[in-house]
Amino acid sequence: MTKDEEFKPKILAFLCNWCSYAGADLAGTSRLKYPSSILPIRVMCSSRVDPLFILRAYLGGADGVLVAGCHPGDCHYQEGNYYTRRRFVMLKKIVEDLGLQSDRLRLAWVSASEGQKFAKVSIDFTEKIKELGQNSAKHNMFL
Amino acid sequence: MNTSINKQEQNGAIIAVKTNVRDTINDFFKKTMEKGIFDAILIPMQVPAGDSFVYVLLKDSSLLKDASPLSPIMSVQGAKAVSSITRLGKGHMKIAAFLRPCETRATIELTKLEQTNLDNITLISMDCPGVMPISDYIEDPTKAMKLFENAIKNEDDTIMRPVCQICDKSSMVAGDLHIGLLGAKKDTFFIIPSSEKGKQVLSDLDITVKDNIDSWTSKTQAKAEEKQKKRKKAHKELRLKTGALDNFLDTFAQCINCHNCMRVCPVCYCRVCYFDSDKVKHPSEDYLQKAESKGSIRFLPDTSLFQMGRMTHMSLSCVSCGSCEDACPMSIPVAQVFSMIADETQELFNYNAGRSLEDPLPLKAYKEDELREMEDDHD
Amino acid sequence: MTKILQLKKSTEQGILEFLKFLLDTGKVKGIFTLKKINTKGDIAYSLITSSEELTDATPFFPLMPVNAGKLLSRFTLKGSATQPVVAVVKPCELRAFIELVKREQGSLENILFISSTCGGVYPSSMIVNGISEKELTAYWDAVKKAEILQNLRPACKGCTEFVPYTADITVDLVGHTNLDKHCSMFLNTTKGEEFAKDMKGEILTKEIDKGKIDKFRNKREAEKKKLFNEINSKMNGIDGLVEIFGRCIGCHGCSKVCPICYCKLCEFESPDSEYDPSNYESELKRRGGVRVPPGTLYYQLGRLTHIGISCVGCGCCDDVCPVDIPLSLIFKKIGESVQNMFDYVPGKDVDEKIPLITFEQEEFAEVEE
Repeated sequence: MTKDEEFKPKILAFLCNWCSYAGADLAGTSRLKYPSSILPIRVMCSSRVDPLFILRAYLGGADGVLVAGCHPGDCHYQEGNYYTRRRFVMLKKIVEDLGLQSDRLRLAWVSASEGQKFAKVSIDFTEKIKELGQNSAKHNMFL
Repeated sequence: MNTSINKQEQNGAIIAVKTNVRDTINDFFKKTMEKGIFDAILIPMQVPAGDSFVYVLLKDSSLLKDASPLSPIMSVQGAKAVSSITRLGKGHMKIAAFLRPCETRATIELTKLEQTNLDNITLISMDCPGVMPISDYIEDPTKAMKLFENAIKNEDDTIMRPVCQICDKSSMVAGDLHIGLLGAKKDTFFIIPSSEKGKQVLSDLDITVKDNIDSWTSKTQAKAEEKQKKRKKAHKELRLKTGALDNFLDTFAQCINCHNCMRVCPVCYCRVCYFDSDKVKHPSEDYLQKAESKGSIRFLPDTSLFQMGRMTHMSLSCVSCGSCEDACPMSIPVAQVFSMIADETQELFNYNAGRSLEDPLPLKAYKEDELREMEDDHD
Repeated sequence: MTKILQLKKSTEQGILEFLKFLLDTGKVKGIFTLKKINTKGDIAYSLITSSEELTDATPFFPLMPVNAGKLLSRFTLKGSATQPVVAVVKPCELRAFIELVKREQGSLENILFISSTCGGVYPSSMIVNGISEKELTAYWDAVKKAEILQNLRPACKGCTEFVPYTADITVDLVGHTNLDKHCSMFLNTTKGEEFAKDMKGEILTKEIDKGKIDKFRNKREAEKKKLFNEINSKMNGIDGLVEIFGRCIGCHGCSKVCPICYCKLCEFESPDSEYDPSNYESELKRRGGVRVPPGTLYYQLGRLTHIGISCVGCGCCDDVCPVDIPLSLIFKKIGESVQNMFDYVPGKDVDEKIPLITFEQEEFAEVEE
């Protein structure tokens, strides 16, 4: 078995309660296949996701971090996801400028009815992470 | 701790050094892990960039070969590291912490202050040659390492922190086990247990404690006496330089109130320091009035209040490690001043910070009849 | 066209006379400025209320012991200034104060701001043995000739925001060859004009020399590029970051002197960032070893995400770091990168919202691939 075949990525997925978590649920009930690499964490709104959560996950060794929320304009709390978008864009720039792998971070808008999209995003992102390989932060003692 | 063993009956074990002291100590710890005596070791290691040393809690015993028990600098005070691991509880792991005497003593003070739990910690100290100021090391790590190694060989501490050079407790045993390098025959060192915990470790390693350690005792005692004289002299000179308000103000004139000294101090553990709290934040009118009463005030004021206030808060537990001075961006001799004051305040109560867990903190205990000489005579 | 108050004194003398005028006429009750605080010549910010004390004031001394924005925030934290004061600060300090005001950590009311075109400052470590006459002369020579002195704070060498945005009065320093003969004060606002009324001096009307400013800005821009490239070469992945920040001792000095860091209890000193025994146990299982205290990179990168958007590049973090990590360049570089994404210049306009608390309905569509 090659290293690649052994590599089972761990992707933390912050899913907002009203849209993307429901979408993920729908993917499940519709029996759509998506990789078990996705580890969901339900939050009430994608704007609950503090950039520090993502940073902690990255430094903690998560191979990928997905933040999913309602489409802009459809946020259950009106504006939450607009802030999510800005924070995510900022964090991704910082990670990129630091020479880290910003491709390990992804933002997606998934509505409650988009079970298919959730599955697709999960499959695509997992593939991408497999290409990137394991996050070297996982084993570093000096972080 | 050390009070459970009578000094007179103290023996040690002579350990042979096969390659060098560092490897022998690392090997010792490896054996303890293989035998299940310890689950993890807290010990200094060089950082990947090679320009500093940090404490690492090691569970993988194969990594011990890269540990640096005798590191040339003290980047973080070891007591802070032990507190970081155990402040929220003792955990399941049995941990050995390899610290310098001042770090061991600070750990004991922090235990009294309920910031450290020693239940699953075994404290192992060693004869300390001192540490270099961190800025000297960083300037040229390779050169500094050579200087440090030579300093140990020649027993010359002029490159060490100023407070290290006048430290009379560099071989003080306050933990469970002590590694005695001084007075040992060539290619050997002593391991000296100073508590039941320490004795148990050696017994579990099948190391019999029957060797005479008189040569260590006499050498370290002589060194301590020599340092005490040096210390008294240094403090006398320092008093002249910093005593009286004007001299004190001059010494601390360049202080920018960054509070680095407070934050690196092992004894200063408050989450929000009094001198960062609302208590020192005043409305503009107060500052203007104060300025008007003097014509002008330094802004922010109360630099001396911070320095002296910190003294009143931590002086009785100060172990003279010198971390404060290393961290000061303005090269103020903080440790030298604080250490001198600490000696005097601790003496008032016949207290020695970190000497023993059984010594209560002086401000938490009292005798009904004491310190009469401080009172006014009412006649 | 801006009104200029020109005094036929050296700039140093001129500004002191102006400050004295403000105090003596009762226009202000207090003056914030750098001042010699003892016979040794140590310099610190002071609040001066009596003109006799003004003789020791050194308004444009090339030192920044503390970012004055932080000090002004402390002065007005519990309420705006109760009496009119004048603050002589450098452009980045003024910008820092504006960023703090946006965060409700201070108030602009009742403060007259005097700033200057800024030639930068020396690192604070240079004052440990006192700044020599030679060093002072070298500094002012470079300012007059609009050149970049190489032993300034790195953050200053690459600073392109050396012209203050919101000062009521700007004293012309950079490229002003006649600093020893003239004091030129640009009265940028009506407030500035009011306070300067009745001050003995010539009133001219002209613009700040744009050509001179642009030329100097280009020099600074080139220096900035050079400094940023050096930092860039070290930023390669986790290993690169561990190398850069490996020496960090977690003293958090950088956070404490940073004007933008104002939290009473920092996230990274709160219980949120503490490890309990089970955290250590699980980390050890995975990594075989863990640095203690943990979370060095988390603190540095976390702080970057918190303040990057408002970093004014003053460089106080560099000065306070006990282990000489090139913090100011890292934070300045990444801070500017983030700020550019939103076309944001921290401290330029107090009414401009911090980018993370506002939004456009349509923007950054490319982030959702």
